[in-house]
Amino acid sequence: MYMVNKKYDIIVIGGGHAGIEASHIASKFGLKVALITIDKNAIGRPSCNPSVGGSAKGHLVKEIDALGGAMGILADRAGIQFKMLNTSKGPAVWSPRAQIDKDLYPIVAYNFLKEKDNLDIIEDNVQEILIKNYKISGIKLSTDEIIQSRAVILTAGTFLNGIMWTGLISTKGGRYGEPANNKISNLLKDYGFEVARLKTGTPPRVYSDTIDYTKLSLHPGDEPPIPFSIFTDKVENKVMCYATATTEEVHDVLRTGFSESPMFTGLIYGVGPRYCPSIEDKVERFSDKKSHKIVLEPEGLNTPSVYVNGFSTSLSKEVQEKGLKLIKGLENVKFMRYGYAIEYDFFNPYQLKLTLETKNIENLYFAGQINGTSGYEEAAAQGLIAGINASLKLMDKEPFLLSRNEAYISVLIDDLVNKEHNEPYRIFTSNAEYRLLLRQDNAYFRLSHYANDMNLIDEKTYGNIQAKQEMLKKAFIESDKYKIKSEIANQYLNNIQENEISESTSIYTLTKRNNIKLKDLLSLTNDNAIFEEIKKDEELIKQLEIEIKYEGYIQRQMKEIEYFIQNENKKIPDNFDYTKLHSISTEAKNKLMKIKPISIGQAARIQGVSATDISILTLFLK
Amino acid sequence: MSETIVALATPPGLSGIAVVRLSGDNAIDIAQKHFQSKIDLTKSESHRIYYGKFVKKDGLIIDTVTVSIFREPNSYTGENVIEVSSHGAIIVYNEIINTFIESGAKLAKPGEFTQRAFLNGKLDLLQAEAVADLINSVSFLSEQASERQLEGSFTNKVKKFKKELIEIAGLLELELDFSEEDIEFIDKNEIKRKIYEVYDYIQVLLDDYNSSQILRTGFYISIIGFPNTGKSTLFNTMLDKKRAIVSDIPGTTRDYLEEYIYLNGIPAKLFDTAGIRKSSDIIELQGIKLVDSIIKQSNLLLVLNDSNLGIEYSDNLIKDLKSNYGNKEIILLQNKIDISKIKERNESEVLISAKYGIGIDKLKEKLYNSAYKSISRVNDQLINQRQYNLLYEIKINLMDALNSIDNNMENEFISIDIRKAIKKIGELTGEIYNEEILNSIFSKFCIGK
Repeated sequence: MYMVNKKYDIIVIGGGHAGIEASHIASKFGLKVALITIDKNAIGRPSCNPSVGGSAKGHLVKEIDALGGAMGILADRAGIQFKMLNTSKGPAVWSPRAQIDKDLYPIVAYNFLKEKDNLDIIEDNVQEILIKNYKISGIKLSTDEIIQSRAVILTAGTFLNGIMWTGLISTKGGRYGEPANNKISNLLKDYGFEVARLKTGTPPRVYSDTIDYTKLSLHPGDEPPIPFSIFTDKVENKVMCYATATTEEVHDVLRTGFSESPMFTGLIYGVGPRYCPSIEDKVERFSDKKSHKIVLEPEGLNTPSVYVNGFSTSLSKEVQEKGLKLIKGLENVKFMRYGYAIEYDFFNPYQLKLTLETKNIENLYFAGQINGTSGYEEAAAQGLIAGINASLKLMDKEPFLLSRNEAYISVLIDDLVNKEHNEPYRIFTSNAEYRLLLRQDNAYFRLSHYANDMNLIDEKTYGNIQAKQEMLKKAFIESDKYKIKSEIANQYLNNIQENEISESTSIYTLTKRNNIKLKDLLSLTNDNAIFEEIKKDEELIKQLEIEIKYEGYIQRQMKEIEYFIQNENKKIPDNFDYTKLHSISTEAKNKLMKIKPISIGQAARIQGVSATDISILTLFLK
Repeated sequence: MSETIVALATPPGLSGIAVVRLSGDNAIDIAQKHFQSKIDLTKSESHRIYYGKFVKKDGLIIDTVTVSIFREPNSYTGENVIEVSSHGAIIVYNEIINTFIESGAKLAKPGEFTQRAFLNGKLDLLQAEAVADLINSVSFLSEQASERQLEGSFTNKVKKFKKELIEIAGLLELELDFSEEDIEFIDKNEIKRKIYEVYDYIQVLLDDYNSSQILRTGFYISIIGFPNTGKSTLFNTMLDKKRAIVSDIPGTTRDYLEEYIYLNGIPAKLFDTAGIRKSSDIIELQGIKLVDSIIKQSNLLLVLNDSNLGIEYSDNLIKDLKSNYGNKEIILLQNKIDISKIKERNESEVLISAKYGIGIDKLKEKLYNSAYKSISRVNDQLINQRQYNLLYEIKINLMDALNSIDNNMENEFISIDIRKAIKKIGELTGEIYNEEILNSIFSKFCIGK
């Protein structure tokens, strides 16, 4: 297991969320894989928030699970509180989220990976990626030892030239207490890769026993808690979270520290995310807002550490401390670690194919935060896609490419490659045009058949998924056929203050009414075999309800997809010569030559390429 | 590597001056080969006019000309453009065009200059459409509207409501994406109000469409009446020329005639129709197919009554027309008053003598007022069929969105239709690529534009 095998099919550099998925899935293909990490006890360490999932991110985790990935399973095993977010909103934006034990997660991840056949975990800080004739040949360890490999997946996260800031004090490093890697990005720069800087931040951690919980409001999990993964039977809520808020007094204190903030004084060059703003950003930008929400999230069962969600900052220690102590419940709080901002190198992702292979170097793949994304889930999704495609390529198979209408994963990758990024990219439900079809509840129906085609899912699980899908179809048809008698339905309708029915009415028709719950309707029946069957499965009832209630909207999105697909199917030849297109703008030409889109549809999504440019391109391809 | 194209830019036929236009990478080089003067066009700055002689390959001088030079991208097409102004004789400009073709230029296809201007980003799609409309416009008023569109005011307006819709979508999405933060909820009534703002404006544009059709193709007036009431005489009098054959024999006009007249700048198309026969007492209007289709197209019907036969002789016909064609405006004309000497019954009828031109000015004034009323709703935009269809679809999307709000649907459903509307506006302005749009627009041009 710790024996260094001198030759691998795939080497994954970096043991974060991208590295876990890439190495795990590649090993499932039966290839010989090595995962190289600086610290094997820190594999998958959640360096920021102690949670997995959330808006749109939860969708990614479900999709990773449907494709045979690891994140859902790991989050379930390390999860300590589970909650479905946005249930007051429509079904497209319901998103599962879990608090995780940040100490347990790396252990769970390590144990999970070490059991895999064909996968070795090697502890080292890689010195060099070896390239011959623009093709991967292996890597060089810090010990100067050389390991050969056919492909390398680089998932170095924030470790490339990472610098951490608290106030005006800076430290080199990739995560708190871990060294950075300063060699790899310089090496890749020599190969023509464009490197830029981004920054992100993390809030302080405080000692749990110094918080006055009696003053705070409760943030409980769902009962019963629902696991992420189809491979998990049961999960448990083990902790409670608490909410509090900042006040104007707090904001005033924070403002006194702006002159010593690396961001306000221009010491940090990297651009930060707008959507995950530091508390100083929030105070500065939303100056009319008198209060910002703070959630206190325990970082684990056996640690006193509490994550102060909503208080990400790189202000000086003194100001952090003074400000936080003015918040209700935190008057006597003791800091375990101060908040910090981290600045790191990323490779502009236009340099990647949709498979995440670099265009410059054959068999070199980039995944995760080094592509300018933020978030564990975004990293994991890329790791999965890079791992699958690196494997398929080594096996001489066609690449695995999903369309934007199939998964959030493909929305993420398509956006990464085609759009310009001035801040870390985070997935949002608004990024997905067809989000009503890309729900967390139907991820398995959408994607597991691909996993099955690639042998990434076991037969039994896949059989269950197929059976469920079949049952859903049958129940949908049945709902239209089966009529409830008015005398049975009216009592229920009266109870929920709905208009009565005068004659027998189908379940389908009744479900279309806004206030009616399918589950309640089905409980009025007991003489239909199909309904009796789906009553056993809460999730299936919910899905059926969604399909009936929102049928019109769903069908309209399907129609749109037909049109969308047309342009996706108009392929652009691999080595199309864009210099022939004299009449398009220079900007568009440069972008097209850089990105090399595979279809007219993709070309049209590239920022800086106008409809006119696309018209010309189309005329040329005719 | 844009091929150089050539065509006559001025209307074909005899005229004082003719302009031949060349556009493409080699336009200047090709022109230089045939331009004899002290200066070298290939070294000239853009936006200059030179005087010189146009010579053929063999040195034969064709004409003295002026040559205007426009260097890319500062030209109509965005490419190098040369405009040769020669004398307007057909043989001269044809020689010039042929000479250019011999030297490597290609005869332009209809709309190709404008298509290139569009493809090179000099015009947006709506402006390109306006060029087509400008060329094809028949009235001064519609020309003005097309010009306004060419200046981009329609584009600006459409972009403005696109911006408003994006803002609405943004508000809806914000609440979805940042549910974990404490984002304040948006007031649905506020969203509704914003949607209605856009919706109302689209409705105005849609209403304008019918009026704009009149500006584009004219206000249709048909002369209807029993045989030998003097329809063709009136037709000729209105046109001020003999177009229709006039005789005393009923039924001389076999099918129909049409001709443009101008009512103080508003184009109108006047139709002279065959007489409607009164067989027994039933008027077989529907039976006369041609007349039926003309009436249907018409904005106004002139019912011509032979006042000699009785002042009320055509009243049944009017009644019948009203019941068959709904609310079409009808003016009753009492003809042949030179003989009958009758007095008018009310304001709505006009006494005329088509033969002697009595009452024609009054009639024309009435027609002008009626035509003017029907187009006065066109504020400043002309929209065409394609734009109409898209605007109509946008309207439906907005209606769907409003319905979703009324049905208490969640934000994500409201935003589905708002997003669709935004996409369609993109198609309207040509920001979103759609192949069919291109083809349909550039097929409407004549050569040289």
